[in-house]
Amino acid sequence: MSDIKERSPNQLLLFGIIGGLLGIYLTYLLPFAGDKIGGNPAILLRTIAPTFGALGAICAVMWGADAVRRVAKYGLGTGVPSIGQIAMGMGIIAAMFGLAIVKTIVLAGPIVALVTASIIGFIIGWFAQHVIKMKIPVMIRCMTEIAASGTIIIIGFSAAVAGNFEFANIVTLVFDNGVILAVFWVGAVAMLHPFNACLGPDEKQKRLLYLAGSTGAITMAIIGIAAIMTLGTSGILTLFIGIILWIVFYKKFWDEVYHDASSVVGTGLIPKTEA
Amino acid sequence: MVAIDPALLTNILLIGLSGTLICLAVHFIPVGGAPAAMAQATGIGTGTVELAAGSGLVGLITASYMYAYEPLANIPLVMAAGAMGSMVMLASTMFAGSLIYAYGVAVPFASAQVKKDPITGDRQDTYISKGTQGQGLPTICFVSGVVGAALGGAGGGLIYFVLMDLYKPLIALTSAFAVAGVFTMGVMYVNSVIPSYGVGGTIEGVHDPKFRRVVGKDVITSFFVSILCGLLAVLIAGGMSI
Repeated sequence: MSDIKERSPNQLLLFGIIGGLLGIYLTYLLPFAGDKIGGNPAILLRTIAPTFGALGAICAVMWGADAVRRVAKYGLGTGVPSIGQIAMGMGIIAAMFGLAIVKTIVLAGPIVALVTASIIGFIIGWFAQHVIKMKIPVMIRCMTEIAASGTIIIIGFSAAVAGNFEFANIVTLVFDNGVILAVFWVGAVAMLHPFNACLGPDEKQKRLLYLAGSTGAITMAIIGIAAIMTLGTSGILTLFIGIILWIVFYKKFWDEVYHDASSVVGTGLIPKTEA
Repeated sequence: MVAIDPALLTNILLIGLSGTLICLAVHFIPVGGAPAAMAQATGIGTGTVELAAGSGLVGLITASYMYAYEPLANIPLVMAAGAMGSMVMLASTMFAGSLIYAYGVAVPFASAQVKKDPITGDRQDTYISKGTQGQGLPTICFVSGVVGAALGGAGGGLIYFVLMDLYKPLIALTSAFAVAGVFTMGVMYVNSVIPSYGVGGTIEGVHDPKFRRVVGKDVITSFFVSILCGLLAVLIAGGMSI
């Protein structure tokens, strides 16, 4: 498959980390900037800020889906879903740790979480490779990437629901009302579904990335519904942008499917009587 | 940061232990994966993670119920409540599956890994359909599965109890429930996926030769990873006390 141009793992890694962190930090910095300006722009910035968290999470979903693709290609023996669930398991532990441990230095939270997730992912990858002996060469790197993207997904979507990523805020607006379960599950499915749906001999990265974008966007729409409950107007914005992105990405995925298929034929309706 | 004292070290060790229990539990549960769903292998027809998580989460619900509504709840009681919930969940899953295998698919229950069922002593090999690795859930698989669910539920209950004790004095009670529950869920997922990589997707239960081959290294991995989780859990408590 060397003739097909693919995005390299490093490109996607940078895209996921920079896009994800940028989105997450904007949820915090935009209202901060708005307060400096004051007046109507402050209200506007405060309203649009949480949406960026979900957009950042979509970047991380695309990165994570590609990492899942690289490791699951080797055949894990347990199905692709397991890796999405371990990613979210590691991600949620690291996210809670990173956001809580920094106390008043709120800005350091996401980075601490990212580093913690990478360390947990590296350790699990190392054990999987050298103790359980799974004999998958990319195991350590991919486990690290998957854990890191999992934590960005959790923080990003949580920030979209809570407004920002302060731990106390997230606990009241995301944990107490149970939205975290939606973040956990839907986020995990967003990350594991693209490869689970596309796997096979004719699997292509471009198609997978578009599907990852669409699963990320539909997750954003669901998170938007949760955000309407907690934040009001910002949630409506998140919901609508999520639906628009979902339509865009799904159309692109649809086009790729048509492009890659040898032919698309209609089978007609099921005949009423047996021939 | 929190000062290192014996109580915190005990907490970290207990979380490590409970993660290891969850990991051990997965090895007892007869997981058949997709082949079992087509009645071509012994076990329940779904993945390791789904089963471990399903039974573990029900155990978590019963354990948290015990913790919330029984003022005298101590570690053994909460663990027992978790174990009971998990056992009920997995036993009913296996029972419903067995009904479908017996009356829907119409296969005799037989295990390909042993010649005679270690519990009933019934011969297995003559009942195995050609080209398959056994079907359904023989007695040993059912018993092994219930034992596994008990271990998993007890592990989930233990970690929940430890975390609640850590977080309860620091944040509001409802938040403590949520944070401890979600953290437990995270640890449970990590510890149910690790053994599923070890067993490679399918295992029949305690009588499977695979059990002895992989249980050691999985448990070691799980113990170290859970200790790390325990450390993080304790440090989170440090971060909450502003």
